[in-house]
Amino acid sequence: MSSDWNRRRFIQSAAILGAAPLVARGSMAQNEKQRSQEVPSGMIPKKPFGKTGVQISAMGLGGYHLGSAETDKAANEIVAKALDHGVTFFDNAWEYHDGLSEERMGRALRGRRDQAFVMTKVCTHGRDKKVAMRMLEESLRRLQTDHLDLWQVHEVVYQSDPDLIFAPDGAAEALLAAKQQGKVRFVGFTGHKHPEIHLRMLSHDFPFDAVQMPLNCCDATFRSFEQQVMPEANRRGMAVLGMKSLGGSGEMVRSGIITAEQGLRYAMSLPVATTISGIDTMEVLDQNLKVAVNFQPLEEAAMQSLRDHCRVLAADGRLEMFKTSTKYDGKVGREQHHFPTTQEMPL
Amino acid sequence: MPTTTGSIPLRKFGRADAQISALGFGGHHIGDAPDAKTAVEILHEAVDGGITFFDNCWEYRRGKTEIWMGAGLKGRRDKVFLMTKTCPHGRDASLALQMLEESLRRLQTDHLDLWQVHGMGFDNDPDLFIRKNGAAEALEKAKKDGKVRFVGFTGHKSPEVHLGMLNTGFPFDAVQMPLNPFDATFVHSFERQVLPELNKRGIAVLGMKPLCGHGGAIKKGAITVEESLRYAMSLPVTTTITGIDSVEVLHQNLQLAQNFSPMSEAEMKELRERCRQDAADGRFEPYKLSLKFDNPEARLAHGFPLDTRQSEVKDMLGSEMNTGHPFPEKEF
Repeated sequence: MSSDWNRRRFIQSAAILGAAPLVARGSMAQNEKQRSQEVPSGMIPKKPFGKTGVQISAMGLGGYHLGSAETDKAANEIVAKALDHGVTFFDNAWEYHDGLSEERMGRALRGRRDQAFVMTKVCTHGRDKKVAMRMLEESLRRLQTDHLDLWQVHEVVYQSDPDLIFAPDGAAEALLAAKQQGKVRFVGFTGHKHPEIHLRMLSHDFPFDAVQMPLNCCDATFRSFEQQVMPEANRRGMAVLGMKSLGGSGEMVRSGIITAEQGLRYAMSLPVATTISGIDTMEVLDQNLKVAVNFQPLEEAAMQSLRDHCRVLAADGRLEMFKTSTKYDGKVGREQHHFPTTQEMPL
Repeated sequence: MPTTTGSIPLRKFGRADAQISALGFGGHHIGDAPDAKTAVEILHEAVDGGITFFDNCWEYRRGKTEIWMGAGLKGRRDKVFLMTKTCPHGRDASLALQMLEESLRRLQTDHLDLWQVHGMGFDNDPDLFIRKNGAAEALEKAKKDGKVRFVGFTGHKSPEVHLGMLNTGFPFDAVQMPLNPFDATFVHSFERQVLPELNKRGIAVLGMKPLCGHGGAIKKGAITVEESLRYAMSLPVTTTITGIDSVEVLHQNLQLAQNFSPMSEAEMKELRERCRQDAADGRFEPYKLSLKFDNPEARLAHGFPLDTRQSEVKDMLGSEMNTGHPFPEKEF
């Protein structure tokens, strides 16, 4: 082996330590950013929330990123502008930022609660109904409301989760009780790991109104929720809530394989009730609104061409690290399942 | 005191006319010995104690473990069955063969008894292995050239990927995978999904991670070393590879292996049942569910981020011995 060979490889390897994504950066993403961020006038279209007769906005506001926004004021402004452009679906979870995401959303929706379809998630991660009901009361208080439109079991990503959720006195019983008590209108579950875990949840024939899953143009050909779970949920008349349209935190855009606009348009063109997108700055909101306001779905041919374009990089899951690593597995779930912390095992 | 000379049961290596010791010496951990001298002493004692199967890998500790094993087996080469692995991780056959030459040089030998493709764990690895110019061609060539007697592949991630490798139709002599009482009942189980298929095909089965990699279950008191190792060795496998980084660990393993008597099926069942609950979410099998056990070469080739706390990455920063370009090389 020549020393040139070694040196070249070393430089390449060393560079990678500083920059996680390996694929070359394309210029499409940058160009898009430079273009005007002006949001067209008009509203985000509404779509049916499963077979319930209720309608929700085709784009939803992700609650996790609201907790990442720089200030409370910024969060207020993001929510207000989103409402003004027709966003009605608001996502959250009991565990996001230790409650900050729910608190911020509660404040930002004050006086406009009736314009919003508010969802949050319960984070028992295998614990019993009592824990779930306590979390529900906390979520309601933080969100400053007396009811949720949708309450979901959060982060069903461990292989044992379906058994734990459907165990006697488990979270599934809490969903039914909360619905019966009128504290939540609809119930569902979420997860980002593996279609087979979702299918195991569905196999219990529990009356879920909604199910949330990653849907994006890499998922389309890799451990695919789009192929394996979405059609089954549609067949059952459940509302499909798409998430991680850009890989979780924009990995697909950063890699240069697609633009944010392409990624969001692809996800929103699927037969889903909404696509939840994390928004932590006004810039991201505007970028999303430009796609979602007056949204026109892609033709099937354009979608297939995006799937094919992403196929090679999709095949090992590098751009969907919520499926292939522990990167997106939250703190509370790790604790309950006795997994190492994020610090100990980030990936 | 454990005996330091003795014999370990030998078992037939698949369909081949060869036998190897029921306990194998894992190459990664020898890199944790304090220095080369200690490593060489451990290796000498391992050979004297009856271990004949020696495992290694081109990418372990950026070459240190092969170099130390080469030094430790000098003059004893004919007493052992030497295996190392190549690390193209989806890249070309030519890279795999470059790695072979380097491994032979480090191990101070002109041939390997077994050469395996390392770390098949990403969903597209079988396709990349069998493609034109893929690693399959390197295995064929090395065997034809007489540089390796047998060929195989390894992986710790997914039984489905192992089955995908078998479905390529390539004539593997050996396959390596995690086998332990936790794997046994986890939903993705090498024991249930892959082991019977290998036995049916007459392929040598090399068990690894009998203590779940870093021994998480043992540290938490869920199981003892002896139970775990005996369980793994009692399966229908050719050998069980376990990491040895000190004389103490070597003695513990030698004693167990020299006096090995297989568990009864009832004992094995009882142990599986005891581990079932902890096995269900994979908490003790992080190699299946995280990137923690995926070496930098695998991550680089597949475009995943590195982990600066991994020993190989630490070594890499102080070394010029680095290879690898990502697959694909096409820019998007």
